[in-house]
Amino acid sequence: MIKYIMIALTLGVVAGYLNNNFGNVIANSWVSSYLFDFSLIFLLFIMGFAFGLDKEAIAKMKRTGLKILIFPFSVAFGSILGGLVGGLILGINVFASMAVSAGYGWYTLAGPMVGQLFGTEFGALGFTVNFLRELLTITTASLTVKIDKYAPIAFGGATTMDTTLPIIVRYSGSEALITAFSSGFTLSIIAPFTIIAISTLR
Amino acid sequence: MLNLIVSLIAGMLLGYFLRERKQANLGKVTLGAIVVLIFSLGFSIGSNNELLSSMPKVGLNALVILLLAVFFSVVLVKVTRKMVKME
Repeated sequence: MIKYIMIALTLGVVAGYLNNNFGNVIANSWVSSYLFDFSLIFLLFIMGFAFGLDKEAIAKMKRTGLKILIFPFSVAFGSILGGLVGGLILGINVFASMAVSAGYGWYTLAGPMVGQLFGTEFGALGFTVNFLRELLTITTASLTVKIDKYAPIAFGGATTMDTTLPIIVRYSGSEALITAFSSGFTLSIIAPFTIIAISTLR
Repeated sequence: MLNLIVSLIAGMLLGYFLRERKQANLGKVTLGAIVVLIFSLGFSIGSNNELLSSMPKVGLNALVILLLAVFFSVVLVKVTRKMVKME
């Protein structure tokens, strides 16, 4: 599975780069919007279907109940703490580094937003940290799941409601679907607010 | 965001109502769709010049912040899960 993912990712990056820099054979938006959205919506439908079929998964979810909310808030707090410690170690603006890690993997949000609030230099950092977070989640899910069943959800941050969800479900099982989706969903909602909140602290 | 929720719930309802029927093996279909998804993700990364050019400049700082952020996220998830006794 991971072999196919790495091949698809590499081919995608190379194809996107070549297409963008040497003559736009295919409209970029066609692949990164339509193809992306279509496969994602299809996958969510399939994963929902597998979840609905699974009697145990629904019973487990009922037992978990509201405890499910510990995920996004632990991930949010852990990410910002990581940003703080990282900023102190590197000797850079700690508010900027906290804002960067409060993107929770949503790089198309964190890049521009942190850039606007803290300057382009940190915008580039926001882009890279969060993009690498998504990439790391995808490429290491098969390993991190061994540390803890829910470690890939903690890795994925806000991305666990879309791009990394199929991979997490594949490794953590169908019962992780709702946990992962709701965690990613909550983090996606709070990401812009936490970035702004951190920027007002400095 | 709404279309994601709608398709997820639609899949769940269909699965729930079809659960007494024979089980379907969706492994290959899922893998195929994941490959398409990851390819198009890679495509949008590869065609984003701004992202590609900013990576080497901030590489080391980014790696430090990223690894600490995921480390503390995993630790806190583990700790709080123990606290609320979630399996």
